[in-house]
Amino acid sequence: MYSEKVMEHFRNPRNQGKMENPDGTGVAGNPLCGDVMKFYIKVRNGTIVEAKWETFGCAAAIATSSALSEMVKGKTLEEALEIKREDVSSFLGGLPPIKEHCSNLAVDALRKAIKNYRERVKE
Amino acid sequence: MNPEKLREDFPILVNGLNGKPVIYFDNACVTLKPRQVIEAMNEYYENFPACHGRSSHKLGLKVTEEYEKSRKTVAEFIRAKKPAEIVFVRNTTEAINLVANSLELKKGDVVVTTDKEHNSNLVPWLFLEKRRGIKRRIVPWPEDGNLDDFTEAVKGATLVSIVHTSNLDGTSLPVKEIVKISHDAGALVLVDGAQSVPHKETDVRKLDVDFLAFSGHKMLGPSGIGCLYGRYELLERMEPFLVGGDTVDDTTYSSCRLSKPPEKFEAGLQNYAGAIGLAAAVKYLKRVGLERVEKHEKTLNRIITESLLQHEQISVIGPEDPDKRGGIFSFTIKGIHPHDISAFLDEENIFIRSGAHCVHSWFNSRGIEGSARASFYLYNTKEEAEKFIEAVEKIMKIFG
Repeated sequence: MYSEKVMEHFRNPRNQGKMENPDGTGVAGNPLCGDVMKFYIKVRNGTIVEAKWETFGCAAAIATSSALSEMVKGKTLEEALEIKREDVSSFLGGLPPIKEHCSNLAVDALRKAIKNYRERVKE
Repeated sequence: MNPEKLREDFPILVNGLNGKPVIYFDNACVTLKPRQVIEAMNEYYENFPACHGRSSHKLGLKVTEEYEKSRKTVAEFIRAKKPAEIVFVRNTTEAINLVANSLELKKGDVVVTTDKEHNSNLVPWLFLEKRRGIKRRIVPWPEDGNLDDFTEAVKGATLVSIVHTSNLDGTSLPVKEIVKISHDAGALVLVDGAQSVPHKETDVRKLDVDFLAFSGHKMLGPSGIGCLYGRYELLERMEPFLVGGDTVDDTTYSSCRLSKPPEKFEAGLQNYAGAIGLAAAVKYLKRVGLERVEKHEKTLNRIITESLLQHEQISVIGPEDPDKRGGIFSFTIKGIHPHDISAFLDEENIFIRSGAHCVHSWFNSRGIEGSARASFYLYNTKEEAEKFIEAVEKIMKIFG
């Protein structure tokens, strides 16, 4: 059902856990399956230097969170905002159609974290 | 009972899907429909697709005859005193909403439920709490059969609204005893029979319930049809909450005369094909015999329970004894999300349900994220149960 890469990220999730003093935090949820994902970022000079996440969910939700946290590292906020859900699933070698919404969740949470960062910078 | 023979009546079990057989274990949600039900409904649409009770031509009269015959079939199925005690609605949720809106509960009136109600028997009361100021009491499920909490909670209550069999874990309440306790305290009793009526003999007079709600789609019938049984004297006293087409015998520009039950509750053109299909489903169930269905489900549940509970990572929701859980095996596997279990089984054409099963309140209060639920019916086989066990064990290997 899942690609090797999905299972690998599920078994060894990267950057999992809460971040102390994040610069931006985003939460996304899927009411259908009840998954909730929290994404934290640290930003220096417009670049994401660290990303962490907390997810209660299926293997796809965990793998997409893990993958995205690797994908955004070193990216500028603009570049990070351009990441689409398809990019996350193809990074993982594809997701079963029924699980595509999980990758949506990770990208949504990241975008919210960036928005949250920008709002805090303005203040 | 011969499930192999019965299976011939269910097109998807005969045809399979994408070249593979289908194992349908999501019966607590929706059951499959035998061709007898589909044919009965087609007969309405093909031969007399008209309106009941009004048009006096041959087609209209035929609809009236078939619709009322269906009502009678359903009434006899649950041993109602008379067909007029059966109100056709869309589903259990609508039936409960009908009672919630028509009982004219006032500020301070108390409604008692359990802590394991489907949203259909929680949300209507939450709304009445907000809108009319009713009070709610939630009784913990009497796992050990002790009804002291009920006896205490029903004191001064207006209505006791309880599920008969939980869709979460398959356990059943001793409804007859709870009805007695409630009536002694002067409260009416509404029973959500969505998971019980399809699986065991139900006798509203023996149970002495005031209302019974159930759905057609969980008992081989079509979707969009369900029933509210109500004691006639109560239905007579209650005001309808949907009014307009039908529901009245006569109107002037300034007044209307309400019809008698059940017509006064059946507003607008009804789901005639649905009612006819439901009656066909009832006949099918009667022919097979619900006692046998119940026994068969427990047999399958026992095979699965005894095998899977040997793995210490697997826990069942509810009691371990399958006889106490009827046709439901609701489970979790440590370290594997319920949605991954169902998604993996889906690949094998084994269809189960995962998540909170519309009992979010129960899961939220316990901080559990959900369960995977396999639920059985008369067309499921021991061979399917074995395949399910193999598939679940395979998942544990893949994710382990």
